[in-house]
Amino acid sequence: MTIPETIRKGTTMTIARRTRWAAALGAALALVLAGCATDAGSSGGAPTLRWAVALPAHWDPVVSGSGAQFRILSLAYASLTEIDEAGKAVPGLAQGWDYNAAGDEVTFHLRPNLTFTDGEPLDAEAVKRYLERAKTQQNSALFGDLTSIKEVTTRGELDVVVRLTQVDYQIPLLLGQRVAQITSPKAAQDPAKLDQSPVGAGPFVVTENVPGSHVYLAKNPDYWNAANVHIDRVELHAAPDAATVVSSVQTGVYDLAYLEPTQVKPAKAAGLDVVFQPGFNASNISINVNKKPFDNPKIVDAVRYAVNRQEFVDKVTFGYGKATDQPFPPGYIAYDEQSANRYPYDPERARALLAEAGYAPGQIKLDLVVPAQSTAAEIVESQLGAVGIGVAIKVDPNWSTPFFAKDLTLSLYGTTGRESPVQTLTAHFGPNGPLNLSTPYEPDGFAEAVSLARRTPLESPDYARNLQAATRAGLASRALVFTYSQPNILVKSTKLSALPAIPGQLHWAGVKVTP
Amino acid sequence: MLRRILGLTSGRIAVGILAAVALLAVFGPLLAPQDPLAGSTDILASPSARHLLGTDYLGRDVLSRLLAGSRLSVLGAVQVTLMALVVGVVPGILSVYLGRGFEWVTLRLADTLIALPFLVFAVAVTALLGNGIPQAMFTVGIMVSPLFFRVSRAATLSVARSPYVEAAVISGASIAWIVRRHLWAKVLPPIAIALANTAGVGFVVVSSLTFLGIGVRPPAPTWGGVLASDLGYLSYRPWAPLAPTVLIMATVWACNLLADAVRDVSGEAGRALLHTRTIRGRLAAAGRDA
Repeated sequence: MTIPETIRKGTTMTIARRTRWAAALGAALALVLAGCATDAGSSGGAPTLRWAVALPAHWDPVVSGSGAQFRILSLAYASLTEIDEAGKAVPGLAQGWDYNAAGDEVTFHLRPNLTFTDGEPLDAEAVKRYLERAKTQQNSALFGDLTSIKEVTTRGELDVVVRLTQVDYQIPLLLGQRVAQITSPKAAQDPAKLDQSPVGAGPFVVTENVPGSHVYLAKNPDYWNAANVHIDRVELHAAPDAATVVSSVQTGVYDLAYLEPTQVKPAKAAGLDVVFQPGFNASNISINVNKKPFDNPKIVDAVRYAVNRQEFVDKVTFGYGKATDQPFPPGYIAYDEQSANRYPYDPERARALLAEAGYAPGQIKLDLVVPAQSTAAEIVESQLGAVGIGVAIKVDPNWSTPFFAKDLTLSLYGTTGRESPVQTLTAHFGPNGPLNLSTPYEPDGFAEAVSLARRTPLESPDYARNLQAATRAGLASRALVFTYSQPNILVKSTKLSALPAIPGQLHWAGVKVTP
Repeated sequence: MLRRILGLTSGRIAVGILAAVALLAVFGPLLAPQDPLAGSTDILASPSARHLLGTDYLGRDVLSRLLAGSRLSVLGAVQVTLMALVVGVVPGILSVYLGRGFEWVTLRLADTLIALPFLVFAVAVTALLGNGIPQAMFTVGIMVSPLFFRVSRAATLSVARSPYVEAAVISGASIAWIVRRHLWAKVLPPIAIALANTAGVGFVVVSSLTFLGIGVRPPAPTWGGVLASDLGYLSYRPWAPLAPTVLIMATVWACNLLADAVRDVSGEAGRALLHTRTIRGRLAAAGRDA
């Protein structure tokens, strides 16, 4: 049987059309795959870390301050000192330091032949100019941390002499990653530009920065510890919604991300590595005793007794945190056992204190001003409401302005802590402490207790005792009610090797990414 | 008109759902089996006899929160609709009669409002005026009002140029009389359709804003708020978003269905359609009787 010409022709045409479609589809698929391949291998097969994280608004450490963002900035900047897994100060840019006999002067000895990524020498003069800028620049967020420093001078090219306003053995801890990420003095001549285009001497150098989207960094071969950095490229991407973090890491979009406690269970179920990094985190209810009704100590006490810390642990940290009534997690060297559970959860007593102060249940109505809606805020609202203190949660995206101007009456804060426990104490309880909502209020005896802790060498057998005494004195403050502590939780792909367990910090030396 | 709407299956479904939602708005907080704000240690629990829809991240009864949240969600949608109606219809009608200057200004204003993304604008206004549903809904109402402006203006224009209105004008009738006597009957049906549509839009907007945490102070429950909080705990309660989603979806669908039903029964064609259906129904009934 012969096939008619028209049919054969039609069949041939259909086959030809199908072939063309298949070819087009194949080409499109190839292009898509090629695109994917290009994206995945943009580093040319070099070990690349893809990290989903809240991108810093400021890249100048002087402007960024000593909050949690220092962990990101530490990719681009190296610090004068670092800390080890025990939280002790160890060499960074400075290979050593000496105190004078009086304890009011410390000399840091820099490593030789250090350079910034713009080619400028990282010498004693550069460190001096950085510390002076941190103390004097108008928008410096660090000047409050440097009140112990009276003067900085240089001795030769490699010695930085720091003269202090008081005897203070905390300086090597203070001048670590949070406070002393050294910037290039040449780049710092234009602080606005430096704030968006970092120039440091850290393990990586920023090669591309698209605010709100991504930041790409390449390994800095001139970093003082470059031999131990095994990652060639870091890609920071704006963190996705918490609910999608696990699937993002699971599918290989990212290698590392911070994880909400609610996502630990699905991350583990997905076979990902969940890292509980030790730290100094502690959350609190911040109270302004300069404003009514907290000018009445009985109302503050009522709040203290109204707080059920275990509820925060169960519902905010999903059991991964700990209840704490101090600015440190239990077990930390500055944690004072004598002060533990000084105000246990006792709602009946809280109600009685309110009545003694002359307030009927519901008579007090306060705004709890927070930067974002949070489970912790709802718990505070519920717990204070249960004893008769009416709280309305007010979300203010510009919360930081009134908070640090000490204009709020009631708020919440979570500190990531400081490497220097004395710095943590003064930040919370000092008269000008940034986390003291009741400035210039300071509890009686705190200044003396802190001074003694400062004067105590870290290796002294009295150090822990004096530090804890300072904590005890600080906890007499009516301005803060601490609630819970939670570790930094990260999720990582199995491609990324273990992260060093440095408390509160992320260090990249020794970390490897399997391509 | 209601009788005619109820004559249609889609109309009966829409009215039924919206009546149920209205009842929830009025009696929802009373029907809530538990205190919608009271937490417990039983967090993220699965449905049980005690908690028919389980509990949320603070151990609060989800069913109670949905019931208690109905009022805020419905009132928000109603506020949007009424605001849009008042702000849109009156200038829409007057733009035909109050001269070229007023017409030009109102048309440009309507064009401007249409060009603005109303959800983003509502977020900006709540940032300026304070985080509350009234502020947000006031803004959205104004942003949606061009729909009413255009509908009422188009209907007015068609009537204003009709011979009987021109005759009334020549006879010395006042604008108010013309509007009352001739205009309302022609303008009301398209406005009713727009009203039902806008109510649906209002539900979507209020749910979207409360989903984002805008317009409501926690821990006050809303449908959008319950949905948002469920999404953070999908690995624990993957089915949880279903209940608020179905509520929002059914309400919006009912609004759109009602708009269709109003369109079907309004005007000459609608009345003829309904008349035909009625006759067919009577014939069918007569056939069964025989």
